Amino acid sequence: MSFTRMMEGNEAAAWGVKLSRVEVIPVYPITPQTELISAIASMIASGEMKAQYIKVEGEHTAMAAAIGASAAGARVFTSSAAQGILYMEEALWMPPGMRLPIVMCIVNRALAPLGGLRPDHNDSLLQRDTGWIQLYCENSQEVLDTIIQAYRIGEDRRVYLPVAVCYDGYFVSATATPVTVPGQEEVDRFLPPYKHELYSLMPEDYRRPQWGTNIARARYEVQKAMERAKGVIEEVDRSYRASFGRGYDGLLEEYSCEDAEAVLITMGSMTGTARDVIDEMREEGRRIGLVKMRCFRPFPSEELREMAKRYHAIGVVDRNTSYGSAGGGIIALEIARALYPLDDRPLLLDFHVGLGGSDVTMNQIRYMADRVLEALDRGKVEEEVEWVELLDLGEVM
Amino acid sequence: MSQVVRAFRPVVDNDKCIRCGNCQTFCPEGTVLLTGEGVIHDYRYCTGCGICANECPVGAIEMVREGAG
Amino acid sequence: MDKEKIFEEHYKRSLIRAGTACCPGCGGPLFWRMALEALGPKTIIYGDGPCAYCAIRNILVPTLGIHFSFVADGATGIAAALAAKGRDDITVVSSAGDGATADISFNKVSAAAERNENIIQICIDNEAYMNTGIQKSGLTPFGAWTTTTPRGKETPKKRIPMILAQHRVPYVATVSVAYPADLKAKIAKAKGIRGFKYIHSVIPCPTGWRFDPAKSVEVVRLGVQTWAWPLYEVENGILRLTVKPKARPIEEYLMAQGRFRHLTKEEIELIQREVDEERHRLLEYDGKSIIH
Ligand code: SF4
Ligand code: SF4
Ligand code: SF4
Repeated sequence: MSFTRMMEGNEAAAWGVKLSRVEVIPVYPITPQTELISAIASMIASGEMKAQYIKVEGEHTAMAAAIGASAAGARVFTSSAAQGILYMEEALWMPPGMRLPIVMCIVNRALAPLGGLRPDHNDSLLQRDTGWIQLYCENSQEVLDTIIQAYRIGEDRRVYLPVAVCYDGYFVSATATPVTVPGQEEVDRFLPPYKHELYSLMPEDYRRPQWGTNIARARYEVQKAMERAKGVIEEVDRSYRASFGRGYDGLLEEYSCEDAEAVLITMGSMTGTARDVIDEMREEGRRIGLVKMRCFRPFPSEELREMAKRYHAIGVVDRNTSYGSAGGGIIALEIARALYPLDDRPLLLDFHVGLGGSDVTMNQIRYMADRVLEALDRGKVEEEVEWVELLDLGEVM
Repeated sequence: MSQVVRAFRPVVDNDKCIRCGNCQTFCPEGTVLLTGEGVIHDYRYCTGCGICANECPVGAIEMVREGAG
Repeated sequence: MDKEKIFEEHYKRSLIRAGTACCPGCGGPLFWRMALEALGPKTIIYGDGPCAYCAIRNILVPTLGIHFSFVADGATGIAAALAAKGRDDITVVSSAGDGATADISFNKVSAAAERNENIIQICIDNEAYMNTGIQKSGLTPFGAWTTTTPRGKETPKKRIPMILAQHRVPYVATVSVAYPADLKAKIAKAKGIRGFKYIHSVIPCPTGWRFDPAKSVEVVRLGVQTWAWPLYEVENGILRLTVKPKARPIEEYLMAQGRFRHLTKEEIELIQREVDEERHRLLEYDGKSIIH
């Protein structure tokens, strides 16, 4: 039976894991994901959930144990954050190449030094080249739903890739929002048991993918799987909506974009604040909309190209840094590449904000939206990259 | 299937052999077997390391230079 | 039956094919040949060793390897998956070389022991990083030449079996390919015990230790006979020496290998004293608990 109550993101994640009937869970504590692994431990201790829970000695081992279990035919979950993700990085490269559909929550947290306990997105974005699918969630409900979807996506034979479900520490992980928890039978109908067609380590049925000697070919297969994943993510989200009455528009969500001439692109928890600001501005008659990037890998290039035909200025909210890059943050760099082939490219502005986990405020969002509309009026971009937190916006901190 | 490049090959004198099985026990590659008809070698994979000859208590295996007839 | 067919059947039965990528005379494939006889076909092997995958890739039971910085961890996952599926008929073996076990992944071995994972952890110890071309590891013995210890290693070999015994795991044993019956009996025993089992095998490495490959088994036999590599087991904390040879001088073992040839008389005496002390200690504790 489904029920609804207020729930923090970490608790919602634990419900997502339980409902997905995960069999093996190797984990190591790190703030701000600790409440997630504690919640799972309680569910197992009380008998509500059946899974092998392995309290490993570090994140590198957490991922390695996940690899072993996934190859041996078990559905696996793990989670980490920040330094934990970096410590895990050597292992993170393995599941995509090995084609193992592990699901991991990355509870975003700013990296040391110059970080803290709160989120920015460098920890997960740094893994962009590893071959993990990356989905970003805005609130507790989306976390729960996305975990269930993630298993269907990763375990799809057209994909066979690991999925990172990312959500902001503190703003999502420790903030209670209403969550409808679906019933187990409904989830069972949506998510069949894990069965990997390419793998079995059982002595009576031993098989493993053979890559051959052409490494480029094996890598190309991962790339192809990533490309196919776009369609699968959309398909799974549609089917989720049909089953549970909720969905997230697949890769990108357009919010309040009817006849908008410009958009802001956000990711993660800041989207909630941005919705309020955009609502206000629409009421004021300003023609700006909001695009939430739900899926960062595979990158929704075609979808952005389509949008670029409609919107003539795009402002990217980059909660990350890429020191010395070609210009600005990681999302803006990717978007610039995606839009480059267009003859008629929109104006592109990039904003660094929310770094080291500071709040992304309504004021800041309004400032960024204003700048985008200003550029549209002038027909040119004055400043390509702005560090919004360095500006005096008259914030009451 | 790669053929092994080897400087010496083990050659057994089954008349000398006392059927102790040492050669088979200590061959890393498993390329020497004590059978009902005496000791045989699998020259497809034998690396010519010489352990079988060294471990033979009666000197029944001799390492012979490859190509030396 | 023709000869090729006889051998093909022999390889199938042995669960390891001939034609490994190891050097002639390497103790690695020899170890696996003996170990697999005791383990049997219902085995999953995780990891590598020796020299990365030179022998592992010829093994016919299921194997999974990641990289040498991954020890025991993936095996923990495999064991958990088997537990989730109620498969208690399969033995999970985790294998690694000396550098992986004692250096880069020592935390992993220690943690798997502490969690008492239901696996057999094997160290295939050729006493240096051989795959990269003979560099010193934490299990290189005192005095041994490697390319990173050109004047001989200054510090002794870590006593990993004893360190793991102090984790109070159910079973720890040292083995040698020169003592096949002892080796197979210990692995068979480990297979029958639930929880974490540790098997440490020093294997002869003619390439890195610098001796004629034909002498491989002879050299490690000398290791046992001189007590450089004593054979014992620790079962539930009780130490038992399984082979107690009359001690031969350590010099015989050392001088059989090029890597020790530069040692001075004084250094050899020092090594002899240490080996003697350890022998006396082991004999004193033989049959008694070493867990304090
Ligand atoms: S020479 Fe070496 S590889 Fe060849 S049969 Fe003898 S022991 Fe085996
Ligand atoms: S070791 Fe020598 S005596 Fe023993 S079986 Fe082999 S060839 Fe015969
Ligand atoms: S270097 Fe040593 S351990 Fe490695 S394959 Fe050669 S003999 Fe074996």
